[in-house]
Parts: sequence; structure tokens; C-alpha cells
Amino acid sequence: MTNDYQRAGSLRTSGSGAPELRTPQKLMVFVLSMALFGLANIILEIIPDVTIGPVDISVAYFVFVPLAMVALFSPFWAALGAPLGEIVFVDLLMGDFSGLSEVEGYLQMFLALYIAGSLIRNPRSRTQIWLGAILVVVIDKFLSAIVDLAKVWLALEDPEYVEGLPESILFLEGIGFGVDIVMSGILFGAIPAMWLIPALHGKIEPLLGMRPRVPGEPIPGQAPRTGWFVAVAVLLSIAAAFFAFIEAWDLNVGEWEPDFLDQFGMNFLWVSVGAIVVVLGLAYLAYRAGRKRDGESQARLQAEADEAVALAERERREESIHS
Amino acid sequence: MLRKQRDVLSVEWIKLELIRTAYATRGGMFSRRDPRAVLVWYLIMAFVPWFTHNVTVLAVLFVIAAIGVFLARVGPLVLGLFIIGIGFEIFYLILVSLMFGGNLGTLAALGVVNLKLGIISMASMAAFVSLDPEKLSDALLAFKMPELFAFGVSYGYRMLPIMVEEFNTVFDGFRLRMAPPEKRGFLGWRTVVHWAKMAILSFYPIFLNTAKNVRTTVEALETRGFTYATVDGRGRSIRLGQMRMGTVDWLLLVVTVALVVGAFAAGQAWPLYR
Repeated sequence: MTNDYQRAGSLRTSGSGAPELRTPQKLMVFVLSMALFGLANIILEIIPDVTIGPVDISVAYFVFVPLAMVALFSPFWAALGAPLGEIVFVDLLMGDFSGLSEVEGYLQMFLALYIAGSLIRNPRSRTQIWLGAILVVVIDKFLSAIVDLAKVWLALEDPEYVEGLPESILFLEGIGFGVDIVMSGILFGAIPAMWLIPALHGKIEPLLGMRPRVPGEPIPGQAPRTGWFVAVAVLLSIAAAFFAFIEAWDLNVGEWEPDFLDQFGMNFLWVSVGAIVVVLGLAYLAYRAGRKRDGESQARLQAEADEAVALAERERREESIHS
Repeated sequence: MLRKQRDVLSVEWIKLELIRTAYATRGGMFSRRDPRAVLVWYLIMAFVPWFTHNVTVLAVLFVIAAIGVFLARVGPLVLGLFIIGIGFEIFYLILVSLMFGGNLGTLAALGVVNLKLGIISMASMAAFVSLDPEKLSDALLAFKMPELFAFGVSYGYRMLPIMVEEFNTVFDGFRLRMAPPEKRGFLGWRTVVHWAKMAILSFYPIFLNTAKNVRTTVEALETRGFTYATVDGRGRSIRLGQMRMGTVDWLLLVVTVALVVGAFAAGQAWPLYR
């Protein structure tokens, strides 16, 4: 489908000021991204998975839905919303919420989508859309594959390890990675996105009262306080990796001897827990520091809020006199 | 409430079941508790299993979680999906490790891991099936989660059934307008491609419709001062003012902690590792 009608978009956008998003607009992008990715996941739940032997030929997610969001709107807010949609709609509602590993999954998906969305500078370029779609799957699945492979590597150190499991996990990881790239990245990622993103570009943004993304202009609504944001993101990913390692270690320790567990096992666990606490604390401090730098706009919002509250209270007092 | 549609497994039934889950209309013990107590109960049940490898402790925790599921009256769809999921997981892992020359030791180890995952899944089923969106987002706010997150949760719960309905309508529209493939092809692959194509095409109108809905929602929120309420603490305290921790809520937590401690004591008395 070709779509050359660009006038509506370009006329409205030319020179209309700073590409900064206001709070309601961020909220809209966040909620839209969350709702759409959640819906896509629910639809995937209804479709049965095809399994050939131990290999799962299924679609992990409809990548084209969040990809369209990050390509058309602010990548930061769209990427923040999409994985939350998956957690809220599918995992909580279906009782599939797995606690710690949800944190890991959220961060992986967020990073993958944010990077892909920042990469796509021109929403009408098919090459960039293809790159973005495959990148999302590669980053997301590669991070989880690293965790799984590290688990196998740890286990191989131990000669007592039950035979057959490391090879099988390696084998399944490799096959699964390939299947995911083809099924999720290309068939349900790049190919639909190649049609959907140009079709929506310039049409959906006015519905939210925003200007479309135009190549060559800065992307609206970039991550706030970039330096601090990167620090928080990196710290959170380290914490997520430790979460994952606790789980990974868990599979291995089931194989080890109980006396080994007594000597060494629980210490390792407590060290990991300690590391998570320290890293989360650092992330929180970095977040607070970032917020403090943001104090000026916060103060302005506070002043506006005070004014509105004062107005409302005065109105209420006057009303009570009249009645 | 009697469920007469139970024997019919269809998309319609799934939708109804989702609505029931989302709105917590099943009743049950947890739905009458303070949402904060339910969340704390869930956190206890979700974190404790990671700190032990003792099969006795895990078995007792499994029983506690199962009692929670029973008390919460989890519906057949969610419970069925859980049982099928965990069953297939075990089955495939067994198959694969046998294929590559594993033995019964592998099975026992995998069994322990699945026991842990089972405890956590059951706890989350019991807790989240019993919390309606309003209560859940209030509880999240009470624990100082970001406003955006709390709003997202309650919006998601409310909008999901409507969005599934809307998707269904659009999809049926495409089915009416598009001719099915003339030949089914090998294993019906043409039909599969046709359905996948319709599902993808349906997303175009859904994107636009949802964008309009979201804008309406956000504008309504702003009219009622959503952004200001996040800045000013008073809005939050008004919203959270109606939550009360009653005797039964405290009792729930005390009993749970006592049972968990009891589980660890039992693990000390009769340790069983595999």
C-alpha cells in the first residue's frame, strides 16, 4: 500500500515550536502503548502454540504493535508503557505473574524497544523499520539467552552435574533464538510493521494532539535528564541480572550435594540479595538526584497546583454562603 | 454465582471469564480484605520460596498457596491454564533431558524448581483474582508506587474486556469482507496465513480507535486534576483515606507468617533435599 499524502502532516508541523511533550501527552503515549501491547498479548494467548517435538514454533509477541508505537511517538514513554501492558493485561489477569523475573522481563523489553525506537529516525523508511523490528527481538531474546547460557556455563564447572541437561539447554536456546527471530522478528514484526507504520504515520498523531515525527528533527519527548536516566537504567539492569542469577542458581543448586549447600550455598544467595539491595539503593539515589535537578519544573507545577486548589476552595466557600 | 457456560470453551467464554476475573465478582475471602493486606500476603508468598531448597518447606508452602487459591475461589479458566502450563513444562523438560541422556535425578531437580514456580503462580492467582482494579491501584498508591503505574493497572483492568470486544468486532468485519482462500493448502497453511493477515489488518482500525479512546480518557482525567493530584500530596491522602486495616486483615498476615515459620520449623525437623 503506498501512501503519498503527506500534506496534512507537514502543514501542521512546520515550525510549531519546541519538540517537548507536556505531561498529558506523555500520559497518552504511555497509556496507548500499554493498552495496545496488552491487547496484542491477549490475542496471542487465545491462539494456540504450535509445538514440533520439544521446539516451540510460536510467536513470542506481536513486535509490530510496540514497534509502531516507538517509531511514531516518543520512544521513551512508549517503551515504558508497552511491557507494563504485558504484565498488567496478561500476567496479572491470567495469574501468570512470576514475581522477580517480571522485573527482568520488563527491563529487557523496555531497553529493546527504546533502542529500536531511537534508531528509527524516519518512520517511512522500510530499511529502518526492518532493522528496528529485528533489533527488538535480538536485544530482548539475547539478554535472556545470555542469562540462560551463563546458567549452563556455571553448571558445567561441576563434574557431578547430571548429564544431558547442559547440551539440551544449549540446543534449545539456539533453536529457540532462531525461531524467535524468524517468527516474532520478521513474520509478525518487520513485515506487518513495514505496512502499518507508514500507514499510521501522520494519521494517528493528530488524534492525540501531537505533531508527527519528521526525519531530521529531534525526537519529541526524549528521556528526561539523560545522564541520570542512563545511570538508573544501567543500575536497574544490573539488579535484574542478579534477580535472574538467583533463579538460575536455583536450578543448579538442586543438582548439587546438600553439604556443598551448607558450606557455600546460602552465602552465595545472601551475597546476591545484598548486591540487589545495594544496587537498588544506588538506583534510587540516582533517581532522587535526577529529580532534584528537575526541581525548577517541579516547583512550577507545584505553584500551579496550589493556585488551582486555592481557587477550588474559594469557590466551595462561596457556594456554601449562597446555599 | 452459577456458571452455565462452563462446558463451552469459546472466545466468548474466555471473555466473560476475563471480565469476572478483572472485576473480582467471584467473592471469596481475599476480596473482602484490605488490598494492602492482600498485597503483603502475596509478597510473602512470592519471596519466601526463593530462600530455601528444602523440599519439606516447599511442600508446606505449596499447601498454603493451594489453600489461598481455594479461599479466593479462582475461576476454572485461570486455574486450568495454570495446570496445563505447568504440566506441559514438566513434560517437555522430561522429554528433552531423556533425549539427551539425562536420568531420574534431572526429573527430581526439575520437579523442585516447578514446585517453587507453582507456589508463586498460585499465590499470584489468589491475590490478583481477588483485587478489583480500584483496590489494586489504591494499594499500589499506598505503597508509594508511581501514580502512572497505579493508573495503568486500573485502566488496563477496566479497558481490557472492551478492547477485546472491539477487536472481535473489527475482526469479524474483515472476515465478512474478505473471501477465504479457495484451496486450504498443505496442513491448511493458506487458511493460517489468511487468519494471520486478518488479525494484523485489524490492528490498523484498533490503533486509531484506541488512540481516540485514550485521548478522551486522559482529557477527562486532566479535567479532574490528575496531574495536579500527583504533585499535591493532599489528593493522594483523600483517595487513600477510605482504606482500613481490620482485625481479620491483621489476622490473615499473622496466620500466614506463623504458617511460613511453621513450614521452616518442619523443614528443620524433617529436612529433605534432592
